[in-house]
Amino acid sequence: MEELILELKKEIIDVLNLEGMTPADIDENAPLFGEGLGLDSIDALELIVLMEKNYGIKLANANEGKEIFKSVRVMAEYIKEHRTK
Amino acid sequence: MIFSIGDSIISPLAMTSHGNFEAVMRGESRLQYYEHAFGLPEPCFISLMEDERIDRAFETIYDYSVKDYTKMEKAAILAVHQAIAEANIAANRSDVIFILSTTKGNVDLLESNPYEPERPYLWRSAQLIAEFFGNPNTPIVVSNACISGCAAQIAAANQLRYGGYKYAVVVGAETLSKFVISGFQSFKALSKERCMPFDGSRCGLNLGEAAAAIVYTIDDDPTHIPDNALILRAGAINNDANHISGPSRTGEGLLRAINKVIAGFDNAQPAFDVNRLAFINAHGTATLYNDDMESVAISRANLQQVPVNSLKGYFGHTLGAAGILETIMAYQAIKNHTIIGTKGTDNPAPACPINVATSTMNTNGDAFMKLISGFGGSNAALLMEINRNDNMSVVETHGRASLQPEKPTISVISQCDITDDAVVLNGQTIISRNADSNTWLADIYRHIGMAYPKFFKMDNLCKAGTLAAELLLKDVDFDRETVKPDWAVVLMNSASSLDDDRHYQTTIQDADNYYPSPAVFVYTLANIITGEIAIRHKIGGESSFYVVPAFSPEQMDTMVSQCFSANPELTHIICGWADYDEGKCEVKMQLLEKNVETHCSVYQNNERIEN
Repeated sequence: MEELILELKKEIIDVLNLEGMTPADIDENAPLFGEGLGLDSIDALELIVLMEKNYGIKLANANEGKEIFKSVRVMAEYIKEHRTK
Repeated sequence: MIFSIGDSIISPLAMTSHGNFEAVMRGESRLQYYEHAFGLPEPCFISLMEDERIDRAFETIYDYSVKDYTKMEKAAILAVHQAIAEANIAANRSDVIFILSTTKGNVDLLESNPYEPERPYLWRSAQLIAEFFGNPNTPIVVSNACISGCAAQIAAANQLRYGGYKYAVVVGAETLSKFVISGFQSFKALSKERCMPFDGSRCGLNLGEAAAAIVYTIDDDPTHIPDNALILRAGAINNDANHISGPSRTGEGLLRAINKVIAGFDNAQPAFDVNRLAFINAHGTATLYNDDMESVAISRANLQQVPVNSLKGYFGHTLGAAGILETIMAYQAIKNHTIIGTKGTDNPAPACPINVATSTMNTNGDAFMKLISGFGGSNAALLMEINRNDNMSVVETHGRASLQPEKPTISVISQCDITDDAVVLNGQTIISRNADSNTWLADIYRHIGMAYPKFFKMDNLCKAGTLAAELLLKDVDFDRETVKPDWAVVLMNSASSLDDDRHYQTTIQDADNYYPSPAVFVYTLANIITGEIAIRHKIGGESSFYVVPAFSPEQMDTMVSQCFSANPELTHIICGWADYDEGKCEVKMQLLEKNVETHCSVYQNNERIEN
């Protein structure tokens, strides 16, 4: 699990262009949206692409994402359960 | 006054304005479900023009092969052909200007291009269309995302009022492609069934193809306006300064645009009596947030009693054609004393209660408002009237005073040029490129000590424009805290967003590695750069983006002085050239201020800039 969390943090930094951030800067238990990383609705859509591209998980809409993108840990748990690649 | 003397709509429904109106009156629509349109893996619900029908019509006006032009160009040419025939003008006259409104033009050619290499450039299509009719002037492309069609009509009015032209041929055209549809799909913005504007169950928009053209002319003697002509009374563009893709929750920008067109053009024109409004033709895309935002703005403008309709259930969202197509349809409707019902909508439930017209009804009103909003935080409102022969109110409310204000006095506050080699601010080089650097724009960002993480999410064009704007404002004392409706952003280039378009194309090119990126797609609209600058510096006035073949100081000078003239409230404009193409950066931007004592002509006398 901890390995997946680290991998996920690296991918998030990369696809969302979080310049100057390292995995250590992201608290896996903190909310991804709202305060903190300053992510917005386009970032949420890009995370949907990440889920499909890297883990084969298709999300129909941004609303589904809301629950899954609560924190990096929640995301990792969801991926662990649903990944197809 | 500015009024129309000819118009045309080429759509999947019909090949004339009136034909389209009749089809809509019969409740027709060509929106339908496609399992794999354009080879897309996901289904979509769209409205397509039949290629064969376009080609057949095209062959009747053109002797050569239909292969000489793309579908978008052919549809645009057909629309212009009809509109100028109705207007009965010779389009080859030098006092006729062509204005093309399109968001993505021939972007499908990025996948495979049988034409000359410059064919995907928006200015190239505009040039071919103008040349087809023998027009000698360089056409202007308005590429302001979804508001392009209304912005193009406002640009036409400015060219007629201040540019010395007698006629403006405004044409909007958009065709669909894997590129455009996949992008909207990546945004989760599309409904897989017929769209339901303003309905409580709405779940997204439908895309559609169309071309539409209007010929406007100017005459200050109201008695010269033909009966039943459409008069463009006022138009306004305002930026939300909020988000590049999400509509403002408060409807701030749209509200400002609505209030501005009602308040009147300037002192020569009194405020408009809103009781004359037959209806408001909204953007009504049927996305959750757009329709909510429009309802908030309409309601805040105290227009909640006025019938509101959306035409998206008939045509879909025709992008760059929408503002023109819908203006013509609204004109057809009002000419026939009709309010067109909003197809697809049973139970309107937007955020604020407004009077959505769910079915077609009669009206005695002689004016309507056209609203439109889009990516880049841009909003536009047009206030249009019909010249009823029994109605002298047009003369009375417009007055007879000339609308020609004095040319404003403009001074250059700062100037910033960014090339691949150096950044020059007010004549001084502030950083030169290290020959080894392949992160040039990021180098500039760090060098000037900018702290704006969003910079790294932008495409190259927006990065370059954002850096230039930052430098222009570095030493300027201005209100950085509140949104400024008296500031505008007006930019131009040659490549529109092609640099980012090519990047997006790589995310969809390979069927086995097909992952359309929303974060890349959003920058495939050229005007996003104006939105980024508006957000960063809280600019709430006009935001406009034009595409022309090459940088011309004279043309830039003309566009900004027209913007100052048309918007008397403006005090500052961030303007200039911002281009990024094939790895080449070319930015020449300025901060202009109106009505200060020391002045010099924009662009022409750069040596007079005072640091």
